[in-house]
Amino acid sequence: MEHVIETKNLTKKYGGLNVVDAVSLKVKKGEIYGFLGLNGAGKTTTIRMLLGMVRPTSGESYLNGARVNAGNRALWNKIGYLVEIPYSYPDLTVKENLEMMRRLRLIPDAGVVDAGIEKLRLGPYRDIKAKNLSLGNAQRLGLAKALMHNPDILLLDEPANGLDPAGIVEIRELLFSLSRDRGAAIFISSHILGEISKFATRIGIIHQGKLIQEMDIGQLEKLRKRRLLIDVHNKNSARSFLEKFGFSATFAENGFLELSDSDAINNPEKVNGSLVEAGYPPFMVKVEEEDLETYFLRAIGHTGGHA
Amino acid sequence: MFVITLMVFMFISIMMGLLMYVAQHPEIAGRSAMVGAKTSIIGNADWASFLNLLIQCILALGSLGFGMVTSWIFGREYSDRVVKDLLALPISRFTIVASKFIITIIWCLLLAITLFAGGLLTGLAVHIPGWSIEKAVHAFRIFSGSSILTLMLCTPVAFIASASRGFLLPVGFAILMLIITNFVAVGLPNIMPYFPWAIPALYSGIAGREALPPAAALSYFILFATGIIGFFGTTAWWRFADQN
Repeated sequence: MEHVIETKNLTKKYGGLNVVDAVSLKVKKGEIYGFLGLNGAGKTTTIRMLLGMVRPTSGESYLNGARVNAGNRALWNKIGYLVEIPYSYPDLTVKENLEMMRRLRLIPDAGVVDAGIEKLRLGPYRDIKAKNLSLGNAQRLGLAKALMHNPDILLLDEPANGLDPAGIVEIRELLFSLSRDRGAAIFISSHILGEISKFATRIGIIHQGKLIQEMDIGQLEKLRKRRLLIDVHNKNSARSFLEKFGFSATFAENGFLELSDSDAINNPEKVNGSLVEAGYPPFMVKVEEEDLETYFLRAIGHTGGHA
Repeated sequence: MFVITLMVFMFISIMMGLLMYVAQHPEIAGRSAMVGAKTSIIGNADWASFLNLLIQCILALGSLGFGMVTSWIFGREYSDRVVKDLLALPISRFTIVASKFIITIIWCLLLAITLFAGGLLTGLAVHIPGWSIEKAVHAFRIFSGSSILTLMLCTPVAFIASASRGFLLPVGFAILMLIITNFVAVGLPNIMPYFPWAIPALYSGIAGREALPPAAALSYFILFATGIIGFFGTTAWWRFADQN
């Protein structure tokens, strides 16, 4: 299948620092690619290069097979984008801002403005000036502008910033239906791994400009660290017992006993049984999966890490 | 914003007209030394002086006012952080810059016309003596010429607004040019024909009644060149520079 978004060794240098360092990634049609990284990792600069707003120091990017270049106007008809905080003309109302966007995008159908307002639930704010909108509604306005022309490719930079939990769910469903029903490719950058992992199909982790990991979402599940946590009354003795038994047991940060052996994790009942027999009945036995934030921090902790 | 600028120019032209009225009737000024001092600058309280005043007005006010309008047109999207909406579009960036310049021209010319018309109407209303159609037409020609020449000098302002991503710096630039022009006029009159911002003043014949010195063609060339360089500089900036 063809790749609708592609970068080849995309690099951007600012004053001696490689803000984006030889990033090569590919996104297929219908895919939702989650681009994850800390603030300052290079996510926004990458997106700006994809949009032709910033010229790469070296490397190329391609959208729909065509080389990205500010002068290549034909490209932009099929691309929708939301970069950083979505500002709009402050003294124009929501409706006027959308109308302005419609004309700038040369969309002949006047109905798209109302359709956009409805889809993003901006009805009550139609005649409110953009400067008086709350952050969440400003975000929705930004999304309405990005989606107005029914793009095939969406480039979103932290679109959930400023949205409340209900808003985040709505956006997630909106994007999901776009990708599923219209086959749009969505490239979404964020630092909220938990949210992204709920609907992304593929993940790329960028750290200090370099793309350090890239994988399908299924693989991510397998890579998360798991551990067996146990709480007993006599922790030290229980620990020595477990060590003698062949399990390496350490103390976790919350004071519980932690076992990382895969045998222990996969057969917690065995461990439980042994402890009971030895006179150390545990009152808590839990298999804990590393949360995604921890996984992410662990992944970027190792630069040049392995998948 | 448009309406505000129109009103400002209208207001100024009316004030000028009223100033002439006071010059005619010095007894009104009798109570205020400042107004009296101002009217004495004007010279005779007749149409010839008044029309002259209007031309001086457009030179100074035009430089500043047109500069501010240009800064606003080019800089406001940057200061409102909305400029990204204008970037990845099916419309070429050249078109966007050109459209902004067209609006700048239309807006500034309207302001100039407002100033002249406002001045004329006020002058007629207060019955300034010495009216003649020839004088008015002649003055109007110089007035329009000065306006157009001043307009051409707005392109570097547009460039600065785009490159500095705001409108404070370009306004500062316009003010600075005005100050330097006055300084040059007083202190270094020999440079005047070569300094772009002084050229409209020379054209209007305000700075000394003699026509432009022999370097006239060169002066026009310098002015046009400044205008064109500013225009292409701005379009190049929009097209090639990194837009962060």
